[in-house]
Amino acid sequence: MIITEQKEFDEILRSLGGCERVFLVGCGVCAATWGTGGEEETREMAARLDEAEKDCTGWVVTEEATCDVRTTRRLLRRNKEQVAPADALLVLACGAGVQTVASLVDVPVYPALNTLFLARLQNLSVCDERCRLCGACILAETAAICPVTLCPKGLMNGPCGGYQDGRCEVDRERDCAWVAIYERMEAQGQRERFMVIREPKDWREDRHPGFINKRQRAPS
Amino acid sequence: MSKLAESIAAGKFVVTAELGPPKGTDVAHLLEMAELLRDHVDAINVTDQQSSVMMLGSLAVCHLLRERGIEPVLQVTCRDRNRIALQSDLLSAAVLHIENVLCLTGDYVTLGDHPQAQPVFDLDSVTLLQAVTALQEGHDLAGKPLQGVPAFFPGAVVSPGANPLGPQIAKMEKKVVAGARFFQTQAVYDPAQFESFVRQVECLNVPILVGIILLKSAGMARFMNSNVAGVTVPDELVDEIGSVPRPDRPAKAVEIAARLIREMKGMCQGVHVMTLGWERYVPQLLDEAGLGQ
Repeated sequence: MIITEQKEFDEILRSLGGCERVFLVGCGVCAATWGTGGEEETREMAARLDEAEKDCTGWVVTEEATCDVRTTRRLLRRNKEQVAPADALLVLACGAGVQTVASLVDVPVYPALNTLFLARLQNLSVCDERCRLCGACILAETAAICPVTLCPKGLMNGPCGGYQDGRCEVDRERDCAWVAIYERMEAQGQRERFMVIREPKDWREDRHPGFINKRQRAPS
Repeated sequence: MSKLAESIAAGKFVVTAELGPPKGTDVAHLLEMAELLRDHVDAINVTDQQSSVMMLGSLAVCHLLRERGIEPVLQVTCRDRNRIALQSDLLSAAVLHIENVLCLTGDYVTLGDHPQAQPVFDLDSVTLLQAVTALQEGHDLAGKPLQGVPAFFPGAVVSPGANPLGPQIAKMEKKVVAGARFFQTQAVYDPAQFESFVRQVECLNVPILVGIILLKSAGMARFMNSNVAGVTVPDELVDEIGSVPRPDRPAKAVEIAARLIREMKGMCQGVHVMTLGWERYVPQLLDEAGLGQ
């Protein structure tokens, strides 16, 4: 799940600047689940804009993820009577969602959220980052615990000398990823996998900005 | 060939010390300390931006030591340079006749005085050792041949007091496979614990230089106990150094360190003394430890 946080309202107002009529778009997937851009939060944002003497022309929460151009386009079309008078759109979704909306309208589109990371959701209050989208998954070799994400140094061959009582040198509140990997591998009888020397990461696989067109892929 | 390597190969119990370059260009004090140590140690480590604090470079200081006929150990960390810069600096070391290279991961940037800096860690200590090995084999990490092949004596570090110890030993084993020919350890204050560690890594058949840090005060001991990973100063030693008045502390620190060295001498191939400003007590320490030269 993509984890987001709401920006300070002052910052949102500053970015809206002179725009008076604002249409809001929330995201019904990640932001809704995490409580930053679902129906409740979008409705609340509309009310706050109202208090700040902006004219909220309307709001929607995308049923699918806002970052899906197909469904978001349809939704904006269905609500064109409220979208058309707006001189700005405010989007309560991740950065991909904001840019999806921006690609569908001509007026300025502003983000209401900061996009933080890709996480495992433990419950509605606790989530932890689990994937850095590095483009070359090594979880098969690391007991399904990602050192690229969870080791601050992104080490590939075991822990540094800084762990203490299994905790990370950088943050003693956190478990050392490599100690966790080692212990899980031991428990699963995979110590020999730990002993394999992993080559330095090939950063070419960290393909940003990412772009894929499946139809253009060479047939294999 | 590295004199340190020769001494270890000849079965001599070796002594290394450690100096930290200054923040700035005034090397007078550093060189004075190096002169003080020169006749007492086999080599001097020069730290690489220790604790992520920006300092004069290890390579330049190693060169200054080498010029004076003092055997340096170049410490290289993976924190600040990518694989291109690291390999290039290794070649630079080689042309400056610096052969002893200690390969470390490096502390994280936020521990130092430029916490805003971008951490690199493109290589880790294991793959840095592989880079050293590759260069010695006449090619770089990309497999490209070298014009002129360097010779190194690569070393690495290990923390015998790490908790848990399993992953530490597993990584040590990887370092040996990657080319580490000697190890210097984190400070040890518990000979029994060190003995148990040595037994577990005997099969690796690699020389180990046990780390000794002069215990300057009870406060320092307590600080290390709560802040330095893998270092545990037993209560008896905290009390022992705490029991003497300040003027007598250097003598007591030397006495404790000498005792530790005597107890562990039979378990390893050398000692790495970290003095943290108390370099002047090294001759006395080695005398008391029965290692005077």
